[in-house]
Amino acid sequence: MIVRMVRVRIAGPRSLLDTTLTVVQDLGVLHIDRPPVPESAMTDHVIARQRRHVERSLADVETALARLEVPGDTQAHGDIPASAPEAVRRARRVRRRADALTVTRASLEEQRSLLLRYGEFFRVFEALAGYELTWPDGQVFYVVLKAGAESVLPDLKRRLDEAVGGEVELLSRELSSGEWAVLILASARAAPRVSALLTASRVEELPAPAGLRDTNLRTQPAIKGRLAEIDQVLQALDRERRMLATAEGTWLSGLRTFLRDELLRLDARTQVFTAEYLFVLDGWLPFPRVSDLQQRVDRLLGPEVAMSTLGVEDWRGGVATAPVTLHNPPLFRPFEVVTRMVPLPKYGSIDPTPFVAIFFPAFFGLMVGDVGYGLMLAALAGVFWLKSNPETTLRSVATVGLACSSSAIAFGVIFGEFFGPLGHVIGLRSFFNREQATLPFLALAVALGAVHVLLGLVLAGLSAWRGGHRREAVGRGVALGMLVLTGLSLLAAFEVVPEGLITPLVVAILVSFVVLVALEGIVALIELLSTVGHILSYARIMALGTASLMLAVVANQMVGAFGSVLIGVIFALLFHLVNFAIGVFSPVIHALRLHYVEFFGEFFTPGGAEYRPLAHWHPSP
Amino acid sequence: MEMALLGLAAALAIGLPALATAWAQGRIGPAAAASLAEKPQLSTIAIILIAIPETMVILGFVVAVLILLRAGG
Repeated sequence: MIVRMVRVRIAGPRSLLDTTLTVVQDLGVLHIDRPPVPESAMTDHVIARQRRHVERSLADVETALARLEVPGDTQAHGDIPASAPEAVRRARRVRRRADALTVTRASLEEQRSLLLRYGEFFRVFEALAGYELTWPDGQVFYVVLKAGAESVLPDLKRRLDEAVGGEVELLSRELSSGEWAVLILASARAAPRVSALLTASRVEELPAPAGLRDTNLRTQPAIKGRLAEIDQVLQALDRERRMLATAEGTWLSGLRTFLRDELLRLDARTQVFTAEYLFVLDGWLPFPRVSDLQQRVDRLLGPEVAMSTLGVEDWRGGVATAPVTLHNPPLFRPFEVVTRMVPLPKYGSIDPTPFVAIFFPAFFGLMVGDVGYGLMLAALAGVFWLKSNPETTLRSVATVGLACSSSAIAFGVIFGEFFGPLGHVIGLRSFFNREQATLPFLALAVALGAVHVLLGLVLAGLSAWRGGHRREAVGRGVALGMLVLTGLSLLAAFEVVPEGLITPLVVAILVSFVVLVALEGIVALIELLSTVGHILSYARIMALGTASLMLAVVANQMVGAFGSVLIGVIFALLFHLVNFAIGVFSPVIHALRLHYVEFFGEFFTPGGAEYRPLAHWHPSP
Repeated sequence: MEMALLGLAAALAIGLPALATAWAQGRIGPAAAASLAEKPQLSTIAIILIAIPETMVILGFVVAVLILLRAGG
């Protein structure tokens, strides 16, 4: 159901506005709404400046928290710091230090990976380290070619020889990564030409790592030493980061909460009317919480701040502008996840959650109707239920899954199905054999559709009556009556009820039709035909149910279809798994569609604004 | 002969709506995917829009079953 809301107005001296907002935020129940004043009366350029300042500070805090790897859900109290500017300066200092640690770490990591690459490069040429180079005063070029590029090596050697007339040596080895290490030795005289040729050929030299000027074949010990040194520095940086996180993490989390709360208050400020000396704050809150807010305002803000409750007649916006929050009994509450997939219902209309909680599992169960598939779904939903936290969407989905699986098992018992007709093999008795009773199953599906759609019409009538639209309410009632009369006349035609009733029923239908057109115009006829179409649309329950059963039959027949029983069983299990996936996905989609299109279409009025009270910020779970 | 014609009728009853459904879903699917890339919150509407043409093949299936039942009876 939609929680009953009350509009309240709090007014007082402007000097008490911040305190008032803090009191309201502490209670966390008031959805602040702009008072009925012209747009030009709301000045928010000062607030916009303050907001930018808070956002900048918050960015510093959140960057520091991220750099220090403080968990996002660290609990901290958003107490007001003794000096907000000083706290912000301190946060900025921590952020700068954290930034410096991150930058240094990234640079060292880069050096480390380069040295490791160098290390491997030199390891493959280690055997040459003891030999004298052809040109002791020559220059060495280190090149790494990508994997598969070794075919260019003969061409490179030929071009180098041509360029420097034989004063060059080229050695190559494959690295473990598949790349190719190429060592080019050139005399001092030839080196500039070799360098120019490499540049012209777009062959990149391996850049020399920082802190290791002398790069030659004998630098292996120096590389190892530098790697050890980098590891030590990295460990020291990690230690410093952890110490900084321990020392500042909780405090920074507290400051983040404070700044987030400040942002929420500033956003709320934009919805408050302020004049030179006073403020006026309007808002909505659930009816049972009015006395709580009244007591807090009286106790904490004193006689200077007054709070009053506005009746619907005092509020020119009308009650339809009230924000919407749903509150259903614990049994129905998980099904709000289905209702919330479409826009919230308008305030004053009907929350369909209780009806969804009854019909959604019923439709699903009728379509799947198999103990085996129901047990598989129950196991899956059970795992999600155990792995999820209370009050989360995943928990709600898992609960809905458990309800649907229970329904599938219950209908499976009625149909006597366990992975299709295997139910009969294990001794399940069929109370309603949907494999044979196709037409009764179709009639059952359409009859269920008639009940569902007619319920929608009843709700539409009630909703219109409550909203003061009496003519529309009567129109819905007449449409409902016409559908019932049509159903009865069909039953009379098939002699389920006495045949003699046909004439009076047809006369009543014609009279109702005239009344309906008089009430709602010719468009009522189109709506009526659409409603009949909606009822017939429930035939999909029978169609999907039969299709699911047939797939299970095919799966079972695979056991004897492959010569080998083992292969047949494996294929049958795989096919059952596929049928289970289809059997879960498709009924969910179609049960949703039957609700959103056929059922909601009769009465549901979307467009409700979400109830978002001014409250303290909490990290997302 | 009559049985063969009834079988053909049943096949047409489900086959033609299946083609129509496939054509409609083939047009709605890419549009829905493109919409979801820009507005993920439209997922519910997208699923419903994709499911709507399935009515044709589902009702075709029902008609095919009715024809086959008549053939059997």
